[in-house]
Amino acid sequence: MPKNITIFTTNTCAYCGMVKKWLGAKGMSYEEVNLDANPERQAEAMALSGALTVPVTVVTRHDDSREVIVGYNLAKLAPAVA
Amino acid sequence: MADTTDKATARTVHDVIMIGAGPAALSAAIYTTREDVETILFERGVVGGLAAVTDWIDNYPGFSKGLEGLTFAEELRKQAERFGATIELGEVTKITNEGDVKKLETTSGDMYARAVLIATGSDYKKIGVPGEQEYYARGVHYCATCDGAFYRDKRLVVVGGGNSAVQEAIFLTRFASHIDLLVRSDHFRASEVLQHDLQKHTDKITVHFNTTTDEIVGQDGKVTKVVGTDKTKGQKVDFPTDGVFVFVGLKPNTEFLQHSDIPLDDIGFIKTNENLETPMPGVFAAGDVRSGATMQIATAAGEGATAALRIREYLDEHARQHAQKG
Repeated sequence: MPKNITIFTTNTCAYCGMVKKWLGAKGMSYEEVNLDANPERQAEAMALSGALTVPVTVVTRHDDSREVIVGYNLAKLAPAVA
Repeated sequence: MADTTDKATARTVHDVIMIGAGPAALSAAIYTTREDVETILFERGVVGGLAAVTDWIDNYPGFSKGLEGLTFAEELRKQAERFGATIELGEVTKITNEGDVKKLETTSGDMYARAVLIATGSDYKKIGVPGEQEYYARGVHYCATCDGAFYRDKRLVVVGGGNSAVQEAIFLTRFASHIDLLVRSDHFRASEVLQHDLQKHTDKITVHFNTTTDEIVGQDGKVTKVVGTDKTKGQKVDFPTDGVFVFVGLKPNTEFLQHSDIPLDDIGFIKTNENLETPMPGVFAAGDVRSGATMQIATAAGEGATAALRIREYLDEHARQHAQKG
């Protein structure tokens, strides 16, 4: 189980909902940063992902190493949160 | 009917596995589960398919005021699950005919079913121009509801002349300061209603007919312009922009069937008979992935329901034959 999971989302993003649903089904809690409500954090999402898109999921492990998953990508999400 | 364990092989055989969980498969699942046909759906992307990433749906019957694509997808999902459908998040990579049973190789391991519905839908095509791949997700996008918010007060180019291009260009006016809509032809393929709606946004949207999109150009890792050609004059035209949204048509999600025994037409759509059955017995197709489909949510739902009824008949017939063999 990771130390922390943060997801950057927007209200109209269907893939964001899928990531949240998948994490919820795995019993994982996460912090959500809604970029519609917090547009000032868009730059942070872009800096983390290198992309102008959501969802951006940041998984922080207990050794404080981080993995950033862009989009709804179970092939990368699953091992990142394992 | 229900999943049963094959005594000879000790494998679990499901009644029906549906590949995809968009409007066609979810509609089919509502019908099959209400008839006690055990139904599993496999979805590798978003539940609801392209409908879920559509900004607004105004032409699905029964919703007089229209509704958000995301809401529509969520309601469809809840309805299917209410009657017992199970949605697995994963991918099917191969289908093999093993007689009365179909074997599906999936990201969750091998699975077996008496019947299969392929409803994998379609995805947005790429233009295929220089810069498009290089700037993907960093200036080039295919989902306005996903990425439009990053372009508040920025200039955008939208490429395409069909319903999606016009609808999503209108959606993007929520964010963008200005949109250049590049249409290759001399007219829209979009519906009259959408063309009429577009007229309400002439302050923000400029339409350029007879304009091809030739290259997406950037600097320092950011898109700066689209280079096109005005076909009427034969001249190159530059469109300064911060981002490009591409809606140039749909391609079927059938890559996993390329080397299967399920025939595809010239452009990759699945061929079926009038019962929506493929030449592989017990394997059906419905919705956008099917050759001859009309690429509408309403028709996908209708095909899903039709396929479900055919699947029910197929399973009943095979149960009868199995009982007779005793």
